Parts: sequence; C-alpha cells; structure tokens
Amino acid sequence: MAGVRPIPPEAEIRAIVGHSFPGGIYTVAHWENFLLTECTGADLLADGMVHPVVLFHMPILGCGASIAEMFALGQAESDFSIGIESYDWEMFSPLHEDVPYAISGKVVSAERRMTPDNQPYDRIQFQFGVAQADGVLAARTTITWIYRRGLSS
Amino acid sequence: MKVSPGDLIPDWLMESVRPERMRTMAAILRDPNPVHWDRNACDALGFGQRTINQGPLGLSYMVNMLHAWAGQGCLLRLVMTFPKVVLDGDRITARGAVTAVREVDGERFADCDIWLEREPGDRPLIGTATVKLPD
Repeated sequence: MAGVRPIPPEAEIRAIVGHSFPGGIYTVAHWENFLLTECTGADLLADGMVHPVVLFHMPILGCGASIAEMFALGQAESDFSIGIESYDWEMFSPLHEDVPYAISGKVVSAERRMTPDNQPYDRIQFQFGVAQADGVLAARTTITWIYRRGLSS
Repeated sequence: MKVSPGDLIPDWLMESVRPERMRTMAAILRDPNPVHWDRNACDALGFGQRTINQGPLGLSYMVNMLHAWAGQGCLLRLVMTFPKVVLDGDRITARGAVTAVREVDGERFADCDIWLEREPGDRPLIGTATVKLPD
C-alpha cells in the first residue's frame, strides 16, 4: 500500500556532518579498468592509465563505504528518492592500474532545503581523497546528492 | 596547439547508450539502484521500458571528448550537474567550448563549458572542465 514516510528530523541530518568512513587502500586491477573503459565507449588509455570514470566508485569503495550505506546515512526514503546535484572531480595526477592508493572519505555538509514549490529535501555532500603511497593527493572528489522527502513509498 | 576563448571542442558521439554497459557499471559500482538495470522499475517511474544511465557514465563521454582534444591525462577538474536523465537507446553527443585560456609557470590551461546534447537545446548534463593544454 502506498504511503508517505515520515521526514527525518533536521537535527539528525545535520548530525551526520563530520561522519568519516573507515578509510582504506584501493588498487584498480587491469580487468576493472578494462571493463570500465569499455563502458565509456573509449579505448584503453596508454601506459596503464586508469580512465577517470573510476573516480566515482573507487573513492566510495576504497574508503570502506558503499552507495547503499551513503543512501542509508541520509535516511533515503528509497533508491528512487536520490538525485544528483553535482560531482566535482579534481585530478592532481593520473591514476594507474595496479597501484595502491590510500582513500579517505567523510560527510562535509548536510542541510535541509526547500524546493521552489515548498517540498523539503536534504542536500548532503561527501568528500573523498585519493592519495599516493607518499601521501600526496592524486585526486579529490565531492559528491553532492539530494535526498527528496515526502515521496510515496 | 593553438586554443582561444570561444573555440569549440570537437564533438564526441555515443551513437546509442547501451543498457548492458549500465549493468556492467552497476556491478562494478556495487550500485543497488534498479533504475540502472531493471526496465520495469523505470517503467513504474514513468520513463518507459528504458533504464537510466549512471551519472558517471554520462560524465565519461565528456572525459572522452576532452582526451580526444587535449590528450590523455589532460584533465584537471570536472564539475558536473545533471538536470535530466540519459536513457538507454539515447543518441548522445558530448560538446564543449573554451571559455578561458591561462598560462601558469610556462604551462597553459583551458577552462571549458561542457555538456551532453540529445537534441538541439536538450542538455541532460551540464558542467565545466579545466584541462592542461599540450605544447
């Protein structure tokens, strides 16, 4: 039976700011880069360079998080209630296959907002760092998702 | 490579967005959202029997365009918004235009507006990019 789920208290959403994921090491294997690159419609890049499309899932999985966990952290009403506001990918040096990178990730912003037609939603920003073995940052990504509220379940 | 503000970046075409690629991506991404692999779920949401392309895949078409133009590894920053969805079967063109060219410590950089276009004026993804220009 269809219904509308209760909207989580705004304080609970704000409280996730600063939440850090465990962190970890992620190495992009050749098979993974091959399949990812094929999905983009491009040929493999030269010299084992990883296609930048990896910068969506590599930070998430590498820091011990998951898309499902990120949905749950913002108390998503359903998979369908999530929208993408923006992805911001900063690349300081190319990533390569079979090289271990240290990944960190946390929630940097979480706030309730209203749509122009007065529907509440929560805007949550996650930021991830991808560092080389020497600690130098190779990439930083910021995911901004919106969690729509008051949708029929 | 001579680049000036206002220059158009050569188009990059995805002739047909393929659902099997979304399924491969969903598996690699561990993405549980059925809109990327279950056409019935999309139908229930009003998209018809067509799955929704992952945001990063649409973004990757613009990466491919920039690589073809300025070389692999040229990309320094991408900021992308997603006003509309891309669906399986869509014919999508990645397009872009140079908005500024800068020189820092002997290296040249270009700021660009980039977007995906389904039909003239229909832009499901819109963003900006910064690339390092080749010599």
